[in-house]
Order: sequence, then C-alpha cells, then structure tokens
Amino acid sequence: MFESFTDVNHSFFGLLNQGPLTLTLFLHAVIVLPMFWIYFQEKKRLESEN
Amino acid sequence: MSRKKVSVWSDNRFWQRSAIWVTGFASLLLIWLTFDTMGQISMGNQKDIDNHITKRVPSATVINYEVEYNMNQNRGHEVPVIGGDDGKGNSLFKVKEKFFGRDDYTQKEANALLHLGKLASQAKNCMDCHTLLGNGAYYAPDLTKAWLDPAWGKNGPMQAMTGKNTKEEAMAEFLQHPGKYPTHARMMPNLGITPKEAIGLVAFLKHMSTIDTNGFPRGFGKIKEGVVYAKSK
Repeated sequence: MFESFTDVNHSFFGLLNQGPLTLTLFLHAVIVLPMFWIYFQEKKRLESEN
Repeated sequence: MSRKKVSVWSDNRFWQRSAIWVTGFASLLLIWLTFDTMGQISMGNQKDIDNHITKRVPSATVINYEVEYNMNQNRGHEVPVIGGDDGKGNSLFKVKEKFFGRDDYTQKEANALLHLGKLASQAKNCMDCHTLLGNGAYYAPDLTKAWLDPAWGKNGPMQAMTGKNTKEEAMAEFLQHPGKYPTHARMMPNLGITPKEAIGLVAFLKHMSTIDTNGFPRGFGKIKEGVVYAKSK
C-alpha cells in the first residue's frame, strides 16, 4: 500500500500521491468527513430546539 | 427522551456551515499548494550541480552538460539525466558537452542566454503553434523535450538536413531559416530570428529538456521506428 517516496522534491502532497486517485480520495475524505460531524451537530440542535 | 423527526437536509444552517467549511478548507489548501509549488519549481544554481543535488528545475548552467532522457527504475518513468547516468537513471553531473563550442558557461552567462531565449520565445510567440511545458498549441511539435528528440541527434534527419555537425548548430540554423528546410506539411514560417536569438532559443530549449516533468511526455524519443535515420537511407 505504501511505497517509498521517489519524487524529486519532497512534499506532503507528493507523499499522498501514492498512485492513481490516492491524493484525490484523501482530500475528498478530509473535506467530506467533517460534514458528517456538522450534520449530526445540526441534527442535535434541531431536535433540542423544537 | 422522545426523538423528534427533524430534517437536517432542508435546514439552512447545515448548508451554510458546510459551505463555509468546504470553501474555507479549499482556500487554505490552494494557498498551501501555491507555496508548495513555489518550492517545487524554484530554479537551482551551479552549487546544486556541484553538490550533485537534483532539482526539478536545474540551473541554467546545465547547458554545459550532456543531457539524456533515461528510465529511472525507482520512479518508473523517464527522467532527464544530466551529465551522465549512474545506471539507475540518476544524474551524475560529470559528463560535459560542448554548447556552441564551449562547456564553461558561467552562471551569469547561462542565465543571460536563457533569458534571451525566453524573451525571444515570447516575442516570436512560439506557443501560437508549439507546446512548452504543457502550455501552448499542438499545431506544431511539442518543444518541451525537443532537445532530446533523436531527429536532431547525430544520425537524425533534422541535423543531416541542415548540414551542421552539432545538435545546437543544426537547431539554430533551422530556427533562422525554417523556410529552407521542408520538414512537415505545416512548415514553420520565417520569423526573422537573429543568430543571437537562435543561440538563446536553443539554450532555452536545452534547459527546458532538463526540467523534470514527472515523465511527461511519456516514452519521448524511445520510439525508434518513428525516427527515420538519415544514415540508413
């Protein structure tokens, strides 16, 4: 799953770019996952409001 | 505790907060990427070459060195190899190559030559037809790795056609009188490139070929069947 870093310059994004889609999947996960947290927080708020 | 049925999907605040999060995070990511890219594309200098440090964009003084485009086993694609190959596709920065009769261009001279070439490439609008590092048109050949094109090499038809003995002289000659050398159905127009500009442009092209483009264009110059060698005729 993890390969050694082979790019010329070291960078965080290069590290994530292990293969096709790995960087994309990571960034989408990082963006979407906190939205679940926002969702449940809002749900709790709506339930307690009414 | 009684559970009430609520609709989060139709709640304005949920979308508001999500939008703020996505926009904010994406903005920060783009700012980070910008600085990351700056580090990736900052140009090296002669000290890097002396210390055998491979930079994505090497010093202008690479025009003093032999350049190859070899398979790097570690990275799984071709990379520009400067001044000799260590056998694994890494640059040795040792083997020199004369560029218009010299292989001792100083940092200042090389920078000036490259600057002249860059300005000439902009003044003559090369990108109107050619592609440089992914920018430009595909009406004419991609120039990103033009220096490594075997057609300009020792036994290549382009060098033979111009009657010159070196790659750089052949390229400079072609650039000054493209109308004299029928290469393609879409012939390059005469752009009034001066001899000095031609040298600058060839230096610019040689340096551009040494930029590590992560293996793009892939397999460049390896399709030997695609090259008609003048000698074999």
